[in-house]
Amino acid sequence: MVQQISDAELEIMKVVWANGGEPTFFAYLTDELSARGKPWQKNTLITLLNRLVNKGYLKAKKMGRCNEYTPLVSETEYQTAQTKNFLDKIYEGNVKGLVSNLIMGDLLAEGEYEELRQILEKGREKE
Amino acid sequence: MNVAMKIVLSMSASASLLILALLTGKRFLKDKVSRQWQYYIWLIVIVRLLLPFAPEINVMDSVRQTVERIQHTPDNVPDRVHFGAPVVSQETDDQKEGAFTETTLADTACQDIFSLLREYTWFIWLLIALGMLMRKITAYQSFIRYVNAGATAVADTGILDRLAEMEKQVGVKRPIEISVNPLIASPMLIGIRHPCIVLPSVNISEKEFYYIMLHELMHYKRWDIWYKWLVQFALCLHWYNPLVYLMSREITKACEFSCDEAVLIKVGHDNAPDYGEVLLDAMAAIGKYKEKLCMQPLNGNKQLLKERLGAIMQWKERSKTTMIVTGALTLGIFFGAAFLGVYPVTVAAHEDITEGKRSDPVMESEEKEISVEMAEKFYEADSMLLFAAAFSDLDEEAQGEWLDRIYADGEIAFLSVCIDDLETDATEIQRLAKKAYADGETGFFSVLADHMSEKTLERWLDKALKEEQIAFQAVLYDKLERNDEWDDRKAAVSAQQLEEYKAYGIVSDGKTYYYKEQLVNVFLDVHEEGKFYTLNMDPRGIVNVKVSRTDDGEIESVGYMTEAEIRDLFGEEN
Repeated sequence: MVQQISDAELEIMKVVWANGGEPTFFAYLTDELSARGKPWQKNTLITLLNRLVNKGYLKAKKMGRCNEYTPLVSETEYQTAQTKNFLDKIYEGNVKGLVSNLIMGDLLAEGEYEELRQILEKGREKE
Repeated sequence: MNVAMKIVLSMSASASLLILALLTGKRFLKDKVSRQWQYYIWLIVIVRLLLPFAPEINVMDSVRQTVERIQHTPDNVPDRVHFGAPVVSQETDDQKEGAFTETTLADTACQDIFSLLREYTWFIWLLIALGMLMRKITAYQSFIRYVNAGATAVADTGILDRLAEMEKQVGVKRPIEISVNPLIASPMLIGIRHPCIVLPSVNISEKEFYYIMLHELMHYKRWDIWYKWLVQFALCLHWYNPLVYLMSREITKACEFSCDEAVLIKVGHDNAPDYGEVLLDAMAAIGKYKEKLCMQPLNGNKQLLKERLGAIMQWKERSKTTMIVTGALTLGIFFGAAFLGVYPVTVAAHEDITEGKRSDPVMESEEKEISVEMAEKFYEADSMLLFAAAFSDLDEEAQGEWLDRIYADGEIAFLSVCIDDLETDATEIQRLAKKAYADGETGFFSVLADHMSEKTLERWLDKALKEEQIAFQAVLYDKLERNDEWDDRKAAVSAQQLEEYKAYGIVSDGKTYYYKEQLVNVFLDVHEEGKFYTLNMDPRGIVNVKVSRTDDGEIESVGYMTEAEIRDLFGEEN
């Protein structure tokens, strides 16, 4: 079960995911987050990282004096889980409702509608 | 009574006096000495309660000696109580006798039950102590789980950052978790391995947050939770002592007071009113859960809070006089604890080893007389183990005499059982070994050699080699486990021997013997009377040969053995 994470924790995960499969160093995280406008205190970061480890999102390894973190949940996994949650909660599992809202609510940009239709076609062909 | 019990009780007694002293002192000196001191001074009492160490001369030890003296006098005067005046007629004496027998029977029955109870009080004590400890631990664990179950971690980075800054300020390196649980009474610090500050709500002013965090962080920094558990542990060990409970309550209160003081030292006297205000607000909070084992919730109880407010408002810098007074008091309590002392561990250890044997001089002389009689009885009756027990109770002189007697009587078995008690290389052993060596008693010597150190054995071996005492060499090589050397020596001797034998018509390869070209069955060569001999047997043999030697070890004659001699030989062996 993919647990919920707070916004701050999500920020951290985004940095880790951006690194691909490579482990992320604590020092790197501090710098990157600062760059993204989140200049948190060292202890704050440690607390958040510990929470992520406890929730099973990260694996921590002690490399000398610093820690390095590897993601255990991929970005896609997370997005899918969140989408499912969202779908269940807001649309009660009704995908059509979501898509029609996207279209009707003018939420799709110019080219996106076309792209989506193509993906749908390809999907139907596969079946 | 079990020695562990005695030690525990004496620690309890000493500590009780200290607790009373501190409690009375507190009443008078409450505002004169720092709150920190009032909190930490109890550590001395805790140490007294948990560690059974004290200087050699102490009060508890004297108490113990007096108690033992009192305990022993009735034993020495069994039932011979003299009532009233010495003018007693014959009849009354007889009547008394009758009465005595009745009372003694009942007495012994009672005594039996009591002594049984006394023997096993330690077990009951331990059972209850462990039970209490386990219950405290499980209760605490379930409390933590309960609080954590209803708590949500604080995700607001603003708050987390403020907490991080304060941790830096206070000097806490490791980040403390922080969460919110609306059900709790007031902010608390819980958890030993993963400490966490739990707040009822985060909708508090900056000031409130600041002081609350400061207070809780102080608790963490000073390891207050460990101190609290130490107290709980002491409470479990001394569950039967009501004063220890009083102490526990006092320490809890002192903990909060001293934490307040620590906070105020940090923020400065001017901020005392602000801090007080925070406490007041905490008092207004409505709580749903109370627990003694976490840090006392900020609002603990109204009475306590009022006291704390008062203390905060009155708090001022420590003056020189207070420091001197404090110092003097600390020394007083410390030495009080040390010299009130404890049931001495050394005596306890000694008691354990010599079960029931009193180190009291009053008893010792009596016991010795009994032992002498017993030793005699057991020796006559051939009861080796009982004799050994009585033997070990005798003094050195008596033991020496006995050893000589045993030696003279040739009772090797008795000797081996007796000297088990003696130390390696004891003077008695050495003395007897010299005797045995001089007399050529290899049997005795061998038994004694079992209680010699390697060095001693080697010295003996050198001597035996020099003096060509082959038999003793054999014994010593065996004890030193240098059998190979011995076998080599034997071989050397044998080679010499075989030459000798040839001169007398004996031909041998060490295993098979021929005399005058006849295969020998029993071949006996007694080198020294009863000390060293070669005995060889070959059932195919047709003759039995014996070699006689002079006192110098030279072969005197070689001849056939008679039936009688054969029977003697094997009769002895059997």
